[in-house]
This record gives sequence, C-alpha cells and structure tokens, in this order.
Amino acid sequence: EDRPRVSKVKVFSVSEGKHAKFRCYVTGKPKPEIIWRKDGRLIAPGRRHLLYEDREGYFILKVLYCKQQDNGLYACAASNAAGQTLSSVLLNVKEPHIKFK
Amino acid sequence: EVAGAPGAPLDVYCLDANKDYVIVSWKQPAVDGGSSILGYFVDRCEVGTSHWVQCNDTPVKFARFPVTGLVEGRSYIFRVRAVNHVGISRPSRISEPVAALDPSDRARLKGIPLAPWTGQIIVTEEEPAEGVVPGQPTELTVTEATKNYVVLSWKPPGQRGHEGIMYYIEKCVAGTENWQRVNPEIPVKSPRFALFDLAEGKSYRFRVRSANSAGIGEPSEATEFTEVTDKLDIPKPPHH
Repeated sequence: EDRPRVSKVKVFSVSEGKHAKFRCYVTGKPKPEIIWRKDGRLIAPGRRHLLYEDREGYFILKVLYCKQQDNGLYACAASNAAGQTLSSVLLNVKEPHIKFK
Repeated sequence: EVAGAPGAPLDVYCLDANKDYVIVSWKQPAVDGGSSILGYFVDRCEVGTSHWVQCNDTPVKFARFPVTGLVEGRSYIFRVRAVNHVGISRPSRISEPVAALDPSDRARLKGIPLAPWTGQIIVTEEEPAEGVVPGQPTELTVTEATKNYVVLSWKPPGQRGHEGIMYYIEKCVAGTENWQRVNPEIPVKSPRFALFDLAEGKSYRFRVRSANSAGIGEPSEATEFTEVTDKLDIPKPPHH
C-alpha cells in the first residue's frame, strides 16, 4: 500500500529558497534497499536532489533551494528479502513574505 | 584515584556466553601500586542503561568470573576493578557487548532476516548559506612512486562544509604551472589515490581539492616534485 492515510502524515514546512533535509532511520536484515519517492514518483539524484547515508546511518534526502513545485508527499521506502515498508511526510514550501508599504 | 592502589585491569572480554551466565576474563593490571593484588570486582551494565551493578561481594582472585543473574536475551557490557591493601583501582575499559543467549539461539538470530523498519522522517530547513565549500586537504604526500604509478594520500580538510566530501586530484609537469585535473569526471571519496597515466622521465607535482554539493574548494599545498623513472623501482639500500 503505497498511499498512507494523509491524516496520519506529518507536515513539515520550509521556506522557499531554503534546503529541506529529510532524515530517516532504517533497520532490517539484510540491509534494506532504500528509495525515495515524491508523490509516488522515484526521486533520482540530481542537481537539486542529494541522496546519501550519513555517518550515523540515517538515510538522507536533501532538496536544495526549495520551490513551490517541491510541495508534496515524500516517502522513504525500504525493502529487503524479508519485506518492505515506508515512512512518509508532507512538505509544505512556504512562499516568501512580500512586504507592502 | 588512590595513590598506591593498583592500575586498572586490561583486556576485559567474554570467554563464553549462555542464557544463564557469561564468563568474563581479563588481564592483570600493568602496575600493582606497590602491594600485591588481592582480587578483583566485576561489574555489569545492561546495554542501553547506565546502571552498573557489582557482580561479586568479595574480591575474586582468579582473573576469570562467571556472571550470573542475567536476563535471557539482553545484552551486557562488563568492567573489572582490581583491589590491593591500599584501595580499589579505576575500572577497566568496558568489554564488547555480549548477549545472554545460548549459542544455538545466537546463531539462529544472526541468520534470521528482519523485515525493514523505517522511522519517522524528520525534515529540517537548512540555510543555503550553510552549503559551505570544504577547506583544503592537508598533509598531502606521495606514499609510493614507481615508473608505472604514484600513490597519494592526504588528510580531510578541517573545515568540512556539509556532508558528502569528495576529492579532485591535480597534476602539474615540472617547469609549467599548468595544473590538470586527473579525475575530472569521477571525484574520489577516500583520501588516497593512485595515478597511472604519468609520462616516464617527467617530474610532477600533485595537489588535491575537496568538493561537495556546494562546490570545489581551494587546492592543498602541492607536493614536492616526483620524478617518474625506473630508478624509483629500485628499493633503497638497507644501510647507509
């Protein structure tokens, strides 16, 4: 079931133009394969998307210079021979405040 | 620490583990403090807690002790203190953790695949300004040089920038200031590198730059000249 109930999903907000760092701890044996998805679509590493495992063993997705198009449901999916699971969060990119005089 | 008390015991390890007991062994301290060692106290602590429990009421003489009263399946670490007439030593370094399990259960648990579990994803905002380019690698040295290859090694920069540090290696032929990147496509992740495509008979200097997602940093200090010749293959004479 790749579609968690939205009511249970946490929402995190970041400001437009800032980086959003997603940090997820994963266990399993053998070591699970990790993929990150946004709105169900696989996230490939790229200029604005860094994917790595940090020194403490957390899996990290970093979205650089967040734009409005980065709003959405992000999932960290783990699978190995014994099964699969995922965790999800909603990212809300806040528009910059425009000050009127 | 009491003057005249023994030094801490050494090399605490588990000889044997079962669900009922763990046999802990150690080496006597390097110094007895001036009076002979009367015995040892063994302490245990369940992994994940910071509660140390003394296992024996009176000092044991033999450097080996079966610890009982363990909860099956839980993991423990151990430390040992030495006693003489003057006092008690500081505790030894802790042992590796050991689980109170029968060997067959331990083997079974090791082989069992565990379905993945993923924790709550935590999202944090980072300032793009934090995307700091890492500093210069240090202590760059040529660790090996032959006519076929040169091996470089260096230390990561002190100023690391954010995660995911990588390196670019550059070479420069003697008599020029024309630095060329050796691995322009593939940055290396470990702080060492072997270069193969060097022209025999030429002298080179080398330097290394750190890089991360924020960019490529300043180069390290360049090495001295390394000449790529046959003579580097000849080992140095053993005596002066």
